[in-house]
Amino acid sequence: MTGTLTDEREDGEVVAALIAAADEADTDPSTAAKAVAAAAREVSDMMRNWATHIPWEDLEELDTLPEDEVVRFFAEDYPAIRADLEPMWEPATAAAPAIDPDEDYALDKNAYDFFRPVGANLLSRTEEFHGWVEARRRTETWQYSRVLEAAPGGIATITNDLSKPARGINFNSQDYLSFNAHPEIREAAVRAMRDFGPHSAGSPMVLGNTRISDDLEAALGALVGLEHVTLFSNGWSAGFGTVTGLVRQEDHILIDRLAHSCLQTGARAATRNITRYTHLDVEAVRTHLARIRATDTHNGIMVITDGLFSVDADWPDVAALQEVCHAYDATLLVDVAHDLGSMGPGGTGVLGMQDMLGKVDLVMGAFSKTFASNGGFVAARSPAVKQYIKMFAGSHFFSNALSPMQTAVVLKAAEIIRTDEGEALRGRLFSAIHALRDELTTRGLTCMGSPSPIVPVLIGNEKLARTVNRLLFDRGVLAFMVEFPVTPTGASRFRLQVQAAHEPEQAREAARIIDGALRDAREHLSSAFGNSF
Amino acid sequence: MYNAIVVGGRCAGAAVGTHLARQGLRVLVVDRSRFPSDVLSTHFVWPHGASYLNRLGVLEQVRAVTPAHTDVTVVNNGIELRGSVPEQLLRNQFRLLHDDDSGITTDYFSVRRHVLDKILVDNAVRAGVEFREGYAVKELLRDEDGTVIGIKGRDGTVEHAQVVIGADGRNSFVARALGVEKFDERPRCTYAYWSYFSGIPDADAQIHRRGRLGMAMASTNHGQTMVLTWGPSEWAADFRADVEGNFHRALGLISEDAAGTVARARREERFYGTLDQAAYLRQLHGPGWVLVGDAESFKDQCTALGITHALRDAELAAEAIGRWLGGETDRDTALAGYAAKRRSQTAAAYYDYVCTLAEMKPLRHDELQLFAILRGNQAEIDRFIATHVDVAPVSEFFDPSNVFLLNDTAKESSRDHSAFADFEATYREHQRNPFQRVAAEATR
Repeated sequence: MTGTLTDEREDGEVVAALIAAADEADTDPSTAAKAVAAAAREVSDMMRNWATHIPWEDLEELDTLPEDEVVRFFAEDYPAIRADLEPMWEPATAAAPAIDPDEDYALDKNAYDFFRPVGANLLSRTEEFHGWVEARRRTETWQYSRVLEAAPGGIATITNDLSKPARGINFNSQDYLSFNAHPEIREAAVRAMRDFGPHSAGSPMVLGNTRISDDLEAALGALVGLEHVTLFSNGWSAGFGTVTGLVRQEDHILIDRLAHSCLQTGARAATRNITRYTHLDVEAVRTHLARIRATDTHNGIMVITDGLFSVDADWPDVAALQEVCHAYDATLLVDVAHDLGSMGPGGTGVLGMQDMLGKVDLVMGAFSKTFASNGGFVAARSPAVKQYIKMFAGSHFFSNALSPMQTAVVLKAAEIIRTDEGEALRGRLFSAIHALRDELTTRGLTCMGSPSPIVPVLIGNEKLARTVNRLLFDRGVLAFMVEFPVTPTGASRFRLQVQAAHEPEQAREAARIIDGALRDAREHLSSAFGNSF
Repeated sequence: MYNAIVVGGRCAGAAVGTHLARQGLRVLVVDRSRFPSDVLSTHFVWPHGASYLNRLGVLEQVRAVTPAHTDVTVVNNGIELRGSVPEQLLRNQFRLLHDDDSGITTDYFSVRRHVLDKILVDNAVRAGVEFREGYAVKELLRDEDGTVIGIKGRDGTVEHAQVVIGADGRNSFVARALGVEKFDERPRCTYAYWSYFSGIPDADAQIHRRGRLGMAMASTNHGQTMVLTWGPSEWAADFRADVEGNFHRALGLISEDAAGTVARARREERFYGTLDQAAYLRQLHGPGWVLVGDAESFKDQCTALGITHALRDAELAAEAIGRWLGGETDRDTALAGYAAKRRSQTAAAYYDYVCTLAEMKPLRHDELQLFAILRGNQAEIDRFIATHVDVAPVSEFFDPSNVFLLNDTAKESSRDHSAFADFEATYREHQRNPFQRVAAEATR
């Protein structure tokens, strides 16, 4: 049938009348039957065909039945029908279970919801965000601000921001070759402390560097095959400084959409001409380069990618990227923060694995993953590039140099990485990595990317991830849950960072615990999503 | 003996039947109704839905009687964005889900169900489906292991098949008979009331939000315009106390322009409404049975994707069932493939997106500022619209590298929008139920 008349009652009203009439069946069944039948006949075809579980025909014919049949109908059949009619009339929230407002608020929101707060006062407008943080803390779903009680080895003892202690298999620390506990590394720090004191006392442009800094630049240059190296006091400022040091507002940047925050932020600080390209997609880079060069041949183009992507555990075809960059007079910058030292032949990372040592325009890295210290670097083929970056990267020029102890530690780490011992440590590291990935995968969980010191376990949904995070804390696995702004919304995951100190059996045990927590969290939330459904 | 019996012959059912029949399978589709037949629906079809109709071969037939458009206007607290779903994103989506991007169209339309469902049913019959209308299923038949092997009708007829597909909507008989429970239910949904008006010129669809209220206007069949308004479930009881009065009151609160247009138009039918919009998921398949469409997953009407997703799921399910019945792989592997696509990270993120939107919380400062700065960036407006209607993954628009770049490269600011004039007072005002006062006055 097509349509109804304008003066007919809306179905909700009709259903309400039907229920009200039927509720009077005890006192006067035949009057109730007439009213129910009349109401049923008034219900629109739309509603009738939607609510196929209601026996409309039976209701319509109620006034044709003998009275004893009507009485039987109201006593026996109608209660179930009423239960089905009610949700058509009662607002859905009326039947909703009570919720814990803290839990609801903590699980529901996203940090991005607080990115543009309201108000003219920069300080007071942070309160709303803080309210959310407090709800997350109260519900033990705040994964940040945990502190170590002792050195972070394969096992760690920590307390969370509510001073609640935990001890467990530690995938929360980035120390891929476990150099933090290495006697020679510690000895190097002590020696530098004795020789130079704890402080570098100046910018590297003034008098902040020592002869250890020079040795470190040479060692890093040898490791990546590009001899002109500049040191930064942390990895983030190496990425930010390299981009902003070289790129000007009329230049262009093509950046992998999942490249590290320091590179994205540097890109936005340098120019508005930014194109984020599809993750790892060399053909997309080629297309964008052709488009830019079709109209602009006199400005520069920087193409930016990570080596090992730090929350996806995959890497690009660097050779193909470098080739396409050369074809369009563009410059390639590769961030090897996570792979240098920890994987590849002789610890040369993704570049070494692809036979690209010395063949990439610019290589930058950070020491905090494998080299047991703060700090970062950029390496180039020419002294001109080095001097230019030193002058125009504000995070180099205007920042205090790495401390003598830090440079000494990194230098010692760079030496060990290239020895047989380094190779053996990477062997241990990868035994644990394979054990972890195999056990997780066997259990139906999704390990993203390829075997590398980063093992991302995809969860997706933030509510689920935050709930797993809460459960895991008490179960003997220390794992960092990443969500926006580390990952896109709806793409949260656990980033497990493996160490050479992890035993394969520890890794398998951790996988079993994570699987159990995920199952329990999914049950808790009644969620169909997540892995292995 | 059929290869497949489909219970329910509307969008999901007729479509899955058609796809299976085209694979050479013997298919019976049954439905309680006789067609043409109407059903409660907000009956909007987004471009991917229109593309699915094209792949079924009925797009031209629908278009011949239904006005179609490409651009849509989305207005949030007065901040207007106009755009369309980009063809490239549609292609990506179809390749990802089906390895096939044929039949793509960027058109959308609003088509009455008594029009669309009849076209789909006739198309299924032409594809070789045996169709029984006015046929109510009384019972599912199972073997000793519990595997579903057929159906028994109210009329006593018994039919057997290798698989029974439940495509019978939100109140699915099949799901109830199987005892398949709902999970991840989201009761904080919208109420929605609508009707059909003549005298409004054919135009692009408009979707408005202000505070906790929403409205949409879309040209539909018979030269009429569907006008729909919705709000949070908590306000439903007050709204329905005076459906007609509150309908116009809501339009006036949301957009004076739109309210004026509707006030000058003529209402051609009664008001329709639904309060029963709570989202849920159900298990997708089991021994001898598969669910498609609203029977397996329902979401609030606020993004108008029911038909589109029913057509998508029909195609996904038919691909999987075809691989199984065609002997390419075993049943469990084939149907696990269907489930994997329906339970992907992207699907989960979208489910959350819609369910959060359906709570109809007042528009926040950060959201409105995002809308303000999106203006002037057509590619990202289009991607936002595509994301809103589940053509592009939530995780690609709401990627930190994207949203911070949008911020830093904005061409427009919030300066020219009254929504920011006294934001906090307006925000508080928007949390008050405007229908409550009316209800109180009416009883005085």
